[in-house]
Amino acid sequence: MVGLAAIAELFGGNAGTEELEAFYPIRPDCLADIPKTRFRPRVGKTLSARRWHAAFSEDGHLDIEKVLRRIQRGGIHPSIKGFVWEFLLGCFDPNSTFDDRNQLREQRRERYAMWKTECQNMVPVIGSGKYITRPIITDDGQPIEGEDCHVTSAVSDKKVAHWMLFLHQIGLDVFRTDRALAFYEDEANQAKLWDILAIYSWVDDDIGYVQGMNDICSPMVILLENEADAFWCFEHAMRRLRENFRCSTSSIGVQSQLGILSQVIKTVDPKLHQHLEDLDGGEYLFAFRMLMVLFRREFSFVDALYLWEVMWAMEYNPNIFSLYEQPDAALDSNSTQTLHAKELKRYGKFQRKNLQNGHTDKNCALSVFLVASVLETKNRQILKDAKGLDDVVTILGEITGNLDAKKACQNALKIQDKYLKKVRLYFYQKNS
Amino acid sequence: MAAPPARARADYDYLIKLLLIGDSGVGKSCLLLRFSDGSFTTSFITTIGIDFKIRTIELDGKRIKLQIWDTAGQERFRTITTAYYRGAMGILLVYDVTDESSFNNIRNWIRNIEQHASDNVNKILVGNKADMDESKRAVPTSKGQALADEYGIKFFETSAKTNLNVEEVFFSIARDIKQRLADTDSKAEPQTIKINQADQAGGAAANAQKSGCCG
Repeated sequence: MVGLAAIAELFGGNAGTEELEAFYPIRPDCLADIPKTRFRPRVGKTLSARRWHAAFSEDGHLDIEKVLRRIQRGGIHPSIKGFVWEFLLGCFDPNSTFDDRNQLREQRRERYAMWKTECQNMVPVIGSGKYITRPIITDDGQPIEGEDCHVTSAVSDKKVAHWMLFLHQIGLDVFRTDRALAFYEDEANQAKLWDILAIYSWVDDDIGYVQGMNDICSPMVILLENEADAFWCFEHAMRRLRENFRCSTSSIGVQSQLGILSQVIKTVDPKLHQHLEDLDGGEYLFAFRMLMVLFRREFSFVDALYLWEVMWAMEYNPNIFSLYEQPDAALDSNSTQTLHAKELKRYGKFQRKNLQNGHTDKNCALSVFLVASVLETKNRQILKDAKGLDDVVTILGEITGNLDAKKACQNALKIQDKYLKKVRLYFYQKNS
Repeated sequence: MAAPPARARADYDYLIKLLLIGDSGVGKSCLLLRFSDGSFTTSFITTIGIDFKIRTIELDGKRIKLQIWDTAGQERFRTITTAYYRGAMGILLVYDVTDESSFNNIRNWIRNIEQHASDNVNKILVGNKADMDESKRAVPTSKGQALADEYGIKFFETSAKTNLNVEEVFFSIARDIKQRLADTDSKAEPQTIKINQADQAGGAAANAQKSGCCG
């Protein structure tokens, strides 16, 4: 029974709560402001450090199937979250060796350092441990004098000026990001988050910076100590989220996911959809924030991390790494119908079901079904009590701190199932 | 936004929809939290898209339910936030007295209102963070007042942190809107209501207390 005792010690009988607090300490004066955490590491369910290390072969190949099974059951222990996320988000290929990955990590760190130097040359406060919250140039590129002068001459390059105008906005948001966490009491940590977002908005100038990206990036900064590693983890998360942040003069990217949400509810619960439409809520704008920052405001910090990793595990596609690294060369195995059962097991539950149904819409993320499942749990109340969109928002607000992340994901899978069945039925009826 | 009848439900006599707009970081959400929950939080967060809170107040024996929509300040959210202008009966234009650019942008925000809100919407100008040390102040009270006078709207300097003038701002705009609605009722001629007279704005200046510093 020594083994069991050791595991019990690792997780602790009652130690779960204390342990989480040790990993992500909360400022005592902010305890009242945040939703309570429901997640507890569970023996036999949560992916533990021991299980994680045992999932690697001698040269470093990862048994992703085993790992996914655990995560989908009970999340990831805080001690290893950052490293596991790198795999879930496709930074690394489970089919690579330790050496391959170290090499890739080094390359990426160098690339990040290069970009950082490039940005530093334009705005020296980057990388200084400080950050700015006031504009440094005017809308037409003229330098604004500040306490320490950041820009000395007019900026004529459009790309540079566009980027510089993001920097104070990023600063304003960094100052307000996860303030309840003791981690961000340290200005150096705030500056680290600012640096990463500033450099990201330089590199991905197509998207730039949009409020909410700070909420996505903050956990990476906490989980991965090395700044470059945190950047790349965020950059990979953005690969699946960036379309939501694409802004034009007439729309914001997330609206296309809201459109799918509308489709899903219309299909699985036409009565609810009709009611929302009657309230002028057919655009589902009330779900905007949930999709944009992946439920960060509805869950405590720890629970949001738990939700994300269960979601990413369910969405996992074993080809994700090669799809990212060689988008042209990679075989899109989604289109082949000949996947063996063994191969299918390397996919997350959500992705597997999509494959089996030939459903490959990229915007159709699990998060959309998660919103749908939340709406379904409140279905009766919305139909009965909601007489305006304000009531809908109030009713949905009640879920804050009251949802179990894993159950919510399981319910989302049920809705996905129902949706796919109905769509298929509709398809057959149309073609028979 | 759906506009349910303003006086349809039993728990209030009037339903008034307000909207907070202004640059990012000027303290819109903090003003709202102070007014709706009576608290100031140090763990404030960015508003993503839109949010809202409710508080019911009493004015001249009438129960007024204030439904207050809070918006994200970043320019890039404009397409979402302007969708909410339409249903607003009153709009609070907020700037930060320590941030000159947030004050200069008020003109842009007003242009936005002219484009997207209904013509008779009530407006009020709010200079927030008035508790800050005088050395940090970038917009003198007189400049705020002058701008408000120019547009013929009322003006208050507030502090969500010290609870300076917060009640006054919301009560002031609520009172004006209630008056407008009551006049509309009695005359049944919604287009002829005169609002936002310049002499009212002058009176409000006296209310805007000078604040001391509190760090």
